[in-house]
Order: sequence, then C-alpha cells, then structure tokens
Amino acid sequence: MDDKQIYDMAVIGGGPGGYTAALYAARAGLRVVVLEKISAGGQMALAHWVDNYPGFEDGIDGFTLAEKMQKGAERFGVKTELAEVLSVEFGVIPRVIKSSEGIIYAKTVVLATGAGPAELGIPMEKELVGRGVSYCAACDGMFYKDRTVAVVGGGDSAVSDVLALARTSRKVIMIHRRDTLRAAKVYHDFLRKAENVEFCWNSIVTELLYEERLTGVTVKDVNTGEKRRIACDGLFISVGRKPASDLVQGQLKLDKRGYVVADESTCTDLPGVFAAGDVRTKALRQIVTAVADGAMAAHHAEAYLYGGG
Amino acid sequence: MAVENVDEERFRVLLEGEKPVLADFWAPWCVHCRRLGPACDAVAKQYEDLLTTVKINIDEEPHLAGTEQINVIPTLTLYKGGRAIGSITAPGSKYEIDTFIKEALGGQEAVHG
Repeated sequence: MDDKQIYDMAVIGGGPGGYTAALYAARAGLRVVVLEKISAGGQMALAHWVDNYPGFEDGIDGFTLAEKMQKGAERFGVKTELAEVLSVEFGVIPRVIKSSEGIIYAKTVVLATGAGPAELGIPMEKELVGRGVSYCAACDGMFYKDRTVAVVGGGDSAVSDVLALARTSRKVIMIHRRDTLRAAKVYHDFLRKAENVEFCWNSIVTELLYEERLTGVTVKDVNTGEKRRIACDGLFISVGRKPASDLVQGQLKLDKRGYVVADESTCTDLPGVFAAGDVRTKALRQIVTAVADGAMAAHHAEAYLYGGG
Repeated sequence: MAVENVDEERFRVLLEGEKPVLADFWAPWCVHCRRLGPACDAVAKQYEDLLTTVKINIDEEPHLAGTEQINVIPTLTLYKGGRAIGSITAPGSKYEIDTFIKEALGGQEAVHG
C-alpha cells in the first residue's frame, strides 16, 4: 500500500452502505479506498437469500449482491484493500487510519462498520463457538441435523432461527426471558404448527455445560430464581445486535447502546466523518436504508470537501 | 487466482511435498466459508512461494474431513512435513489468517504481494 497517498475518502467497511458511499463518491470524482477485513457485504453476505432489495424479481443471495456492489463501485475507480483497521485518528487532517496493511490517510471518512450479533456475556461463551455455540442458524444449523438444540431470544430473528432449525433438528428448545414473544405475529402461527419446538419461558441462560463440546445449559427462572439443566447439542444465540463502534469510542459521539449518533445526513459530531448503515442511530436497519446512507454520506463528503450541498 | 479444490488423493500427494500446505475445509452450503473466499485467494497469492493453498469440500471428501477431525467449517489447517501444525476456525479477517500463518510457521519471513 502506498503510505503517502491521501485519499479524498476512506470507507471503513465494505457492506452495502460502504460500497454505495464509495460508488457515489467515485462518480463525483473523489479518490476512494474501501477497507474491508474479509470480503464485501458485511452481514448481508451471510444472508442465504435477499427478497427485499428492489430490482431482483427472484431475489438474490447476499454474497452475490455484495460482489455486485463491490464491482459496481470498482468500475468507477474505487480501490478495495483487504485490511483490518487497527486504530483511527480522526482529530487530525488528513485523518489517519492504521491498518494491518499499512497507514491510510484520507480527508474524509465514512464509517460503515455495521453491527454483529450480541453475546450473552457468560463464561466459556467465546471458547465454545464452533463447539456447540453459534450465532448463525443459517450457517451452522446443518451440523445439528437430528440433534437437540436450544435457541436463546424472543425477537423475529430468534423465531426465524427456531423455525429453520425445527426443519432439520430433532428438537428445538426456545429459551426466552419473558412469557411472550416480541416476534411479529406472522411467526406465531408457524411456531404453533411446529411439533418439535418446546418453550422455556421466563428463563435466562446462566451457564454453559460442556466436555469437549457443549452438552447443555443451565437456565434460571427469572421469577423464582430456580435453576435447572437442559441437555442440548447446540445453543444458538439470537439476542439482538451490537454495533461495531469500538474503533471510534472516544472520538465520535455514541448513544448508550454504542451506535454512532448521526441523523439521515449521516454527519457525525465530527465534520468530515460520516456514519452509514447499521452502525448509525436509526429506526430501520435494512440493506435499502444502508445504501441510502451511503449516498447521503458521499453527498455530504463532497460538500465538506468542495463546499455547497 | 482462485484456490484449487483437491480430493484426498491429490491432498496426500501435496503433503509429501516440501512446501507446507494450507487447507481450507469448506462446504457449498456454508455462508461463512464463502465469505472467506476472497481473503483465502489473497492469502494464497501472498504466500505462494512459501505455501501451497488448497480447498477441500467436506461434502465431497467426508473421509478426509473425518480423518482430519474437521467438526466445524470454515477451518484452515496448516500442514508441515505431512502433519497438521495448527488450525484456525472461522477467522474474521484476512489479518487473522496472516497472523495465524506467521505464528504457525514460527516467524518465517512472509512474502507480501
């Protein structure tokens, strides 16, 4: 990587928000680099099928859509670096981004780092990932064919995971801290019809039981405090998402959940630094809202660099 | 440059060679494996003088996946002198793969592409 080059825009994160910002900025004549740690798409790349992104009448898989977004931006000169960002310094101009592949300087930065699954925060959770603990039913469900699994959570994605797992697993136990689900009504009928789904209401997971792999969990009743053990081969954790904003902590204003505070303009509290996609405070986190953010970020970056807007 | 998919026979031949072998165990239905693809291709090119990088589809090579004790995918295993010297499961970045290779090879100088 050429350390001395100063980009007009560095985009951190190659998901739909990031590559749309890059596309719009490159088409406006800006020199743009996208820093992506593994491959384009972010969370979208893990989606088996996307039916709510307009323009694809039969739907499209998330990984292919991501590749198309990347190629579409690169057609206008956007450069992609497979680099992990280690630290950022936004208080100086040009902004300094230290990455695994070298230092990048840029006049503006679009933070499009997205969000990832929230953890339970209990002992051995990290160590047992891949040995019984998973955050992605669509990814790992096949490993538990004809086995017993548990799902923690009560929202739409937890129920969607339960329904997907119920098709292949012997039994699915849904563990939820309340006695009702937050999930959309449309899911409730499907759940009632699934014969191999059991519910464990008013309960939280307090302990992971394991030998070489996960063998079960201890759950605690939130009303009585009573604990009991549940045997399972897999535990799928679906308790919400957390923004990937650790990198900018102390440099940008974050809300109490860690999202970067920015409205539809994507402007953060630091001029020239923008937040696009799931990492930003917003009501609806979808691919279409992420790409909208990308366009807005590029528009305001251009105004920041050249005035107007 | 896409990394070559190999069967068990070809894999065993490569293990006999002088170069260490980096094997990416994957399956077509594994979305995390697909995400790893571009990083794996980049690593293969970056380390081409030091390593032979291959992909092994565990659905097509269940026997090999069994003998290599692959319980989780994606798994990258590095072989040297015919035996596994380290492995990494579901790396989250190309940088993580770089670090794994450097550590597993014991500080051998990497070739940057």
